[in-house]
Amino acid sequence: MTEAVTEERLAVKLDEEHCSRCSICRSLCPYDAITKEAETGKIILNIEKCQVCGICYSACPSVAIDTIYYDRGSLLNYLEKAKQKYNSQTLVIMCKGSAPDFAEVEKLFGVSNFIPLSLPCVGRISDEIFMTALEMGIGKIYVLACDEDYCRFHRGSPIAGRRILALNLMLGQLGYGKEAITLKRSSLKVKVDKDLCIACGNCVFYCPYHAPRLESEKGVSVDLDACKGCGLCVVMCPAFALELEHWERERISALIPRLLSEMKPPKLLVFRCQWAFFPPLDGKSSPNIGVIDLPCAARVDAIHILDAFQKGAESVLVAACAEEDCKQEKAGGKAQRLVAKLNERLSQIGFQDRLHFCSVAPRYHDGFDKQLQEFSQRIKELSKGEKK
Amino acid sequence: MIVTAQKPLDEIFDSISPYHKVLIAGCDGCTQPPRGLREAETLKQLLELAGRKKGKDFEFKVTSVVKQCDSVLTTSALKPQVDGIEAVLSLACGIGPQMVAELFPDLIVLPAQNTHFLGEEDREGGKIEARCIGCGDCILTMMGGVCPHTRCAKGLLNGACGGARNGKCEMDPEKDCAWELIFERLEKQGKLDNIKEFRPPRNYQVKAWRLVP
Repeated sequence: MTEAVTEERLAVKLDEEHCSRCSICRSLCPYDAITKEAETGKIILNIEKCQVCGICYSACPSVAIDTIYYDRGSLLNYLEKAKQKYNSQTLVIMCKGSAPDFAEVEKLFGVSNFIPLSLPCVGRISDEIFMTALEMGIGKIYVLACDEDYCRFHRGSPIAGRRILALNLMLGQLGYGKEAITLKRSSLKVKVDKDLCIACGNCVFYCPYHAPRLESEKGVSVDLDACKGCGLCVVMCPAFALELEHWERERISALIPRLLSEMKPPKLLVFRCQWAFFPPLDGKSSPNIGVIDLPCAARVDAIHILDAFQKGAESVLVAACAEEDCKQEKAGGKAQRLVAKLNERLSQIGFQDRLHFCSVAPRYHDGFDKQLQEFSQRIKELSKGEKK
Repeated sequence: MIVTAQKPLDEIFDSISPYHKVLIAGCDGCTQPPRGLREAETLKQLLELAGRKKGKDFEFKVTSVVKQCDSVLTTSALKPQVDGIEAVLSLACGIGPQMVAELFPDLIVLPAQNTHFLGEEDREGGKIEARCIGCGDCILTMMGGVCPHTRCAKGLLNGACGGARNGKCEMDPEKDCAWELIFERLEKQGKLDNIKEFRPPRNYQVKAWRLVP
């Protein structure tokens, strides 16, 4: 970052006045982003190292740390509006990591009409939010966390489990019934279609977690305990034999024309890693821009990018985390190489400058919008040039 | 594996442009990366985009064959697909288009790949390197497992030439000197005497063009 970082842009803030300098945040931070000044004992947050996991926010006993993504005011504001919009008293809070579609939520919890609330990590929501939600007239809360060892941040799922257990005990005593909040866990896994597998071994090589095994020509088998659901193997499979649950090729393909038909030209379609940017709950979008959030930049697929061009996108932007910020294994770099390779082929057919890559991080909450502005400007200039 | 590289898209486009109904046939076999269904689908999308730009409309069908070098597999995979098809664009190595041409004499067959060599892939480094030229007279036993036909830029059978610098070939400083590799390995195996043995020039007569297994 060469430009000066203004305070307003930061997604995580530490309020020195309220800080009791207890150091709990420092001992919990998995990324060494919090330090203590030796002489003064002052707690210092190094935003460049921060991954916005929120563990410091959720653990601070002095409420001195604030992150914009769990901000009480905007969460409650959203709930208030969503209650009307969905006309429901059931709230389903979902972790981005297990990224289910609504049909899957229905299957898991048996509810069809509900208020959806998707958050970066359900392990970071304060007790207060749950209780205020119940006070607001929400009758039942379902929480869908990731499987325990699957957290993209740090121990979010076990923390959510303990917090909800304690909350339920307390709520029971207050007369809210035995289980006011129901927790379930889930995670994304890869599926193999053995009939399509050509036993080439690409997935075995590319998987950063050594989940696929190829022991015979009968095809690959995947150790689902080891699979972290990044989707890289899916993109590398030359035979379409692998699919990532809830992020199937066909499902993403179906999203593309739907989004594009609702957009106005010049149409810019963005394939974005869902960990690179957390959209605000009340976010308004431009009519020229459509976004498809993916579980990881590793799931960015050339087939889908080409699909977007075919279906009328003027330009495509791939937004991923920087390699060092990746919640998986350097997926941002892999997506960048995929974009470079595809660009080489696109330029052979006269499609220059239509496909771009950028890396963003949620530590600056306007990071993505800035990239978008820059890119839209370039596209405008390009289309002016073409018209001349 | 057989190593191929896709032809430039404009060359492919020109080759298919006299035709309207084109079958893009991938091959799941030994090419690397495998040019299967995904490659076929990607190529279809690219060619359609190119067609739109140039005002040419194609009707593509996409399929993949387990091994295009196998006449039985290729017949059974393509026969149900070729009805109404004018041309087949093959993603296989050089064998594939020839096999399809033999099996379907009425069809136009076009290659989408340039076939380069038999090689191995260093996937970490993202490189694919030649390892075998199919000479028909393998001398790897004597050479500690390094083929001088393929890996020595000068194809020397009685190396080294003396031009290597720091173990790298004088023709290409990225490339290891094959003869230094041979020397190191034979030394480790205690078989350095192998290197002293004179080897006459390669016998091109051995190269059979037809083998009966």
